[in-house]
Amino acid sequence: MRKALLIAFKDLKVLASNKGNIFWVFGFPVLLALLFGAIYSGAGGEPSGIKIAVVDEDNTEFSGSYKSKLESYEALEIVYLPGDEAIEQVRKGKIAAAVILKNGFGDGFEALFNSDEPRLEIAADPSRKMESGYLQGLLAKAQFEALGDQSVDKEWMRKQIKLWRDDVENDSKLNTKQAKLYLDFINSFDTLLKDANGGTFGVDFKGDLMNFAKRDINRELKGPITSFQTTFSQAMLWGMFTCTVTFAISIVKERTNGTLDRLRIGPLGHAHILGGKGLACFITAVFVICVLYIIAKAIFKTPIGNLSLFILAAFCTVLCFVGLMMFISTWGRTEQSVGAAGWATIVIMAMLGGVTFPLAFMPSWLRPFCHVIPAKWSILALEGAIWRGFSFAEMLVPCLVLVAIGFICFSLGVGMLQRQDS
Amino acid sequence: MIKAENLKKRFGNIIALDDVSFEVKKGETFGLLGPNGAGKTTTINILCGLARPDRGTVSLDGKTDPTVPEVRLSLGVVPQTLALYEELSAYNNLKFFGSIYGLSGQKLKERIKDCLEIAGLTQRSKDRVSKYSSGMKRRLNMACSLLHEPPILLLDEPTVGVDPQSRNLIFDTIEQWKQQGRTIIYTTHYMEEAERLCDRVAILDHGKILDIDSVANLIDRHGGPSHIEAEFEEKPDIEKIKPFVDDKDIQIKENVIRFKTGQPMESLARLNRSGFRFRTLKVQTANLEDVFLNLTGRRLRDQ
Repeated sequence: MRKALLIAFKDLKVLASNKGNIFWVFGFPVLLALLFGAIYSGAGGEPSGIKIAVVDEDNTEFSGSYKSKLESYEALEIVYLPGDEAIEQVRKGKIAAAVILKNGFGDGFEALFNSDEPRLEIAADPSRKMESGYLQGLLAKAQFEALGDQSVDKEWMRKQIKLWRDDVENDSKLNTKQAKLYLDFINSFDTLLKDANGGTFGVDFKGDLMNFAKRDINRELKGPITSFQTTFSQAMLWGMFTCTVTFAISIVKERTNGTLDRLRIGPLGHAHILGGKGLACFITAVFVICVLYIIAKAIFKTPIGNLSLFILAAFCTVLCFVGLMMFISTWGRTEQSVGAAGWATIVIMAMLGGVTFPLAFMPSWLRPFCHVIPAKWSILALEGAIWRGFSFAEMLVPCLVLVAIGFICFSLGVGMLQRQDS
Repeated sequence: MIKAENLKKRFGNIIALDDVSFEVKKGETFGLLGPNGAGKTTTINILCGLARPDRGTVSLDGKTDPTVPEVRLSLGVVPQTLALYEELSAYNNLKFFGSIYGLSGQKLKERIKDCLEIAGLTQRSKDRVSKYSSGMKRRLNMACSLLHEPPILLLDEPTVGVDPQSRNLIFDTIEQWKQQGRTIIYTTHYMEEAERLCDRVAILDHGKILDIDSVANLIDRHGGPSHIEAEFEEKPDIEKIKPFVDDKDIQIKENVIRFKTGQPMESLARLNRSGFRFRTLKVQTANLEDVFLNLTGRRLRDQ
């Protein structure tokens, strides 16, 4: 153990002597955490919503009311443009969608429920399905709210009822019995409106039909309290990535410089040399996590849900990446080839492991591949401890997967290094 | 002390060693002389356990496995490559390599001090190795192998690419070790180094040992005659000179004659006694370069 420690401390000295290494291993993850934390929390500027263009071809009182509703939503950023220009902006990707209020949009319920001739058109990039879906929800909400505001006007409602009555009477698809049923209902509603006192009449669609508030409460309870809870776990992963590549390169550098041979002809076993390398990587990775933890707690007051589980998750993550480091170090004969292979692997891991953006954004065919990405399990374990509220049993799955990947990679790496050296 | 028997080693289609055998006695300095690619480094690697022979055995002080830690403790290997941590200082390099050989505390400090003096780096011990000249790095490379005072030293071309000052320092150090009775194997493709340092030399080419003996015996056996160029005060009569020299291909140009002889001093003395008066004399005796040329048909430096 003493000999492995000697090699580990020598590696740490070499690491510390290089300012570039120190930046990539310690500074870069901290910067990432701060940058993305600031972006996701909206610090340093106004929060930005989905940018859409609204094209009002209807220009009625109702369409004006509808636009006011859209403007009131923080999740949307509205610009008003002519139709052609709005479509061009969508095509260029400058705005997420164009919402076109066609002639007849102000016809109230007729416009909302007329499936033959829609009066509201959304022009959007089909690849931005998530944004488009979210936008449709907001547009429907605004339409109901605008109708709700309009429906307190008794005379306007009676005009709507007259239109419904005309529709029923002119609909040839309805038989006599069905038509009578609808007309009885419409006439009763019209009588109610005619007799109603203006002060007591009111229909409120807002609260009953489009109630999003209850869902928001659920989401807040399950989600991170601050954006730094997410970004610090991602930053820890970036710290692991840079440690992995830095130490993988250091093993190859030992070989190309001849110092590995000098160690091998000393009174050391292969276990001492590779164990020392792994130990240096382990110590550095733990140090990176500690630094990020201290910054997260002391400066950003980021809450850590369960400290014991966090330590477990961090320990398993470090073990996994030490193993990966050993394996990557065998992927080339020179520092350049191992560095390139290492960074290529890391970019793929970051993309498919949920480190750069959430796994929910992945197409369904790609998601099964994410299960073999160690970063995915690391993020799950770290987030499980920080804000997902995992129990010990829930934590076991990602942790065991991480340890297993680490063990397999370490064994493969040691085996291949011994083969290369012999 | 060191014995190599019938070593064979191939790297793919290339035969690196082909039935190499030699023995080095305790306290002897043994040279492996040959051009690049002759198999010198492969031999050293097999002796120190970095490579395994396809066939054959090595024995170091009676032990046949050089990978055993106690055998390695008795070995000091100076590799041909500069195996140093360039980010660290000379002091820290020595401290680290001394530590892995089990040195610590005051003993380690004393050894570091001694080795820095041997390498002539005491004044620059705290500087990063990356700032050193190649000669300084070579000296440190050698010093790192001496920390644990090994009885056996394997030096693989320790003077490659160094300045004359560093080369002389390295030679002085090796001569000191010889005086201390250490057993040394020294590989080189510089015949002057082998002639100066080695008690016996093995001529190695294409993985085969062509001959082994002391430098003098090798020259006697394979070096061929000495070349003499003598300038006389007057143009001599070649017919009068011929009886005094062995060479039938004697050449004369004006008052200068050139001839080859296996006994240069005797030939010149006979000429002098016969009344020939020399103005200048140039005697070029055979050396290891000639030995290599005569054994292989090629020059060492032509490789």
